[in-house]
Amino acid sequence: MSERTQVETTCAYCGTGCGLIIDVEEDRIVRVRGNKAAPVNQGQTCIKGAFGYHYIHSEDRLRTPLIKKNGKFTEATWQEALNYISTKLTAIKQQFGGDAFSMFACARATNEVNYVTQKFTRAVMNTNNIDGCNRT
Amino acid sequence: MLLLIGSNTTDAHPIIANRMKKAAKKGLKIVVIDPRKISMTKSSVKHLPLRVGSDIALMNGIMNVIIENEWHNQPFVEQNSAKFEQLKKHVASYPLDKVEQITGVDKKDIFEAAKLYALADRAMICYTLGITEHHCGVNNVFDIANMALLTGHIGRVGTGIMPLRGQNNVQGAGDMGCLPNQLPGGISLADSKYRNTLEQAWNVSLNPTIGKTQTGMLEKMEDGLMKALYIIGENPIVADVHKNHTTELFKKLDFLVVQDLFMTETAELADVVLPAKGWAEVEGTYTNTDRRVQRVRKAVSAQGIALDDWKILSDLATLMGYPMNYQSSEQIWNEVRQTAPHLYGGMSYERLEKEMSLQYPCPDETHPGTAIIHQELHLKGKKDRLAPFTPVDYTEPVELPDQNYPFTLTTGRRYEPYNTHTQTKYYPDTLKRKQFEETVDIHPDDAERLTIKNGEYVLVSSRRGEVKVKARITEEVQPNLVFMSFHWPEVPTNVLTINEFDPISGTAEYKACAVNVKKISS
Repeated sequence: MSERTQVETTCAYCGTGCGLIIDVEEDRIVRVRGNKAAPVNQGQTCIKGAFGYHYIHSEDRLRTPLIKKNGKFTEATWQEALNYISTKLTAIKQQFGGDAFSMFACARATNEVNYVTQKFTRAVMNTNNIDGCNRT
Repeated sequence: MLLLIGSNTTDAHPIIANRMKKAAKKGLKIVVIDPRKISMTKSSVKHLPLRVGSDIALMNGIMNVIIENEWHNQPFVEQNSAKFEQLKKHVASYPLDKVEQITGVDKKDIFEAAKLYALADRAMICYTLGITEHHCGVNNVFDIANMALLTGHIGRVGTGIMPLRGQNNVQGAGDMGCLPNQLPGGISLADSKYRNTLEQAWNVSLNPTIGKTQTGMLEKMEDGLMKALYIIGENPIVADVHKNHTTELFKKLDFLVVQDLFMTETAELADVVLPAKGWAEVEGTYTNTDRRVQRVRKAVSAQGIALDDWKILSDLATLMGYPMNYQSSEQIWNEVRQTAPHLYGGMSYERLEKEMSLQYPCPDETHPGTAIIHQELHLKGKKDRLAPFTPVDYTEPVELPDQNYPFTLTTGRRYEPYNTHTQTKYYPDTLKRKQFEETVDIHPDDAERLTIKNGEYVLVSSRRGEVKVKARITEEVQPNLVFMSFHWPEVPTNVLTINEFDPISGTAEYKACAVNVKKISS
């Protein structure tokens, strides 16, 4: 039998913030259950919290950066993809100004990601065109 | 006492619903205000099935009853509020007969609900998108605030106003400054002193002009002025109103970057797609609907060469000449704590590790966090800063039913799928579920009139588009009202919805548009 480890975390679906325990075997999630010590849910979970993790190991996950060439996506390295984006965004900023750029931030991502997202938008692109699905 | 308004808590926030139901068994009186006979009505003492979009008429009517009967909290109003006389005069134009006519709710029930809310020792209002997804969403929220201010049901245990957030980190994303008018720490962009502090800390000069909301961005795309869009973990092509229009707008962009876990319908349109790490693959924190900051931890490795979202953005910033050298999420969080010490100063990862969760404001390491805000409202004496009442008027939904489109369509979430289903479609096949495809929920009287059978495929059309969908006959909806969710991309409900928006928030009127329901002729 392979070793099973437990990781305490917080659910990523709705805004309730249920505490979850993830059981991991061979780098795969094998089970998710409610954390009894968690203040919000005291061990309970809904169907999404307990069973909504299978997408993580799906074959359909994006695995590499993709650049569209002649209408078709082709695999790229990080260096290629980020250089391409950097060149395009720099050109757009120079020609049209930062306000020709918009950022849709992600209300499912961490606070840390969101902080960096707005800092990128404001400090690098020099615009406040940043919003999320917060409104819906 | 709990006033639950525009929230199908059982489906959208199941664990919060469990706690409500448990409390109801112990004596909590729940009044449900919702056009649909949602599951929570079984645990409620009263259900006010108002017409879609008539919330303001109903709340004004409730406040009029409260003031007429002098059930409002006079000392609280005097010490904390301004413009009470204006509110009083305004809601006097919403007598019960008129409100009954607009809302379709029995006036005796409105009276009873007003009495229950006003005279309860402790009363709380929970709301969700049933309040905000209207062309008058902001006014709806103003009226909720008016009710709490009028009765003093705020700033004490068991009272207050609670918007139940639909995503795990809606609260946090806004608090971090992912809003066009707000900097990190919930501070307004207009605050030049704070802006200057940030400029020094970040070593840049910041643009002081308020940015565009998503709606405003789309308008600029329409005008050809928005050239580039960077989308992180969102699928607006399926999630936004008037889908066909949104698709056309995205095609007008010079450059679209999508950073996601999957090749979504939105990613298909992109020039570059970047693979991000997701939940269970990253370290960090989320802030829940209760201002509670909690840790999320890495459990497994990501697939392929996916990176943390913050790592991608940092590398890109560095390439573009603004070095960002973050090494860990903790390092970023510590910068957040320094940037917004009034909220997070005392919330180290170490403390979050030990204490599991902390509610902001938590300004220093010895601060226990703040479970209840606005407690100062209950201190004796007239306050220096008074909260003004904001009287608002009922305005009917932008698109009302007519001869050609005789039904009102209202949209929302269901229990099992999540949003555009990009993640929950991977449930194992063996998992028991109630629903595997979208339905249009229709009242038995309407179904009978149209000779539609349960489970039969029908056409639902609006002025913007048409979808084929299975009919589900149920008394959950009122006659002349149909309900659909937006979970299954195979039935893109948002080709039907209307691109009308609240002028302040930019939120679309997902909750009301006019549709026709037709049998598919064989």
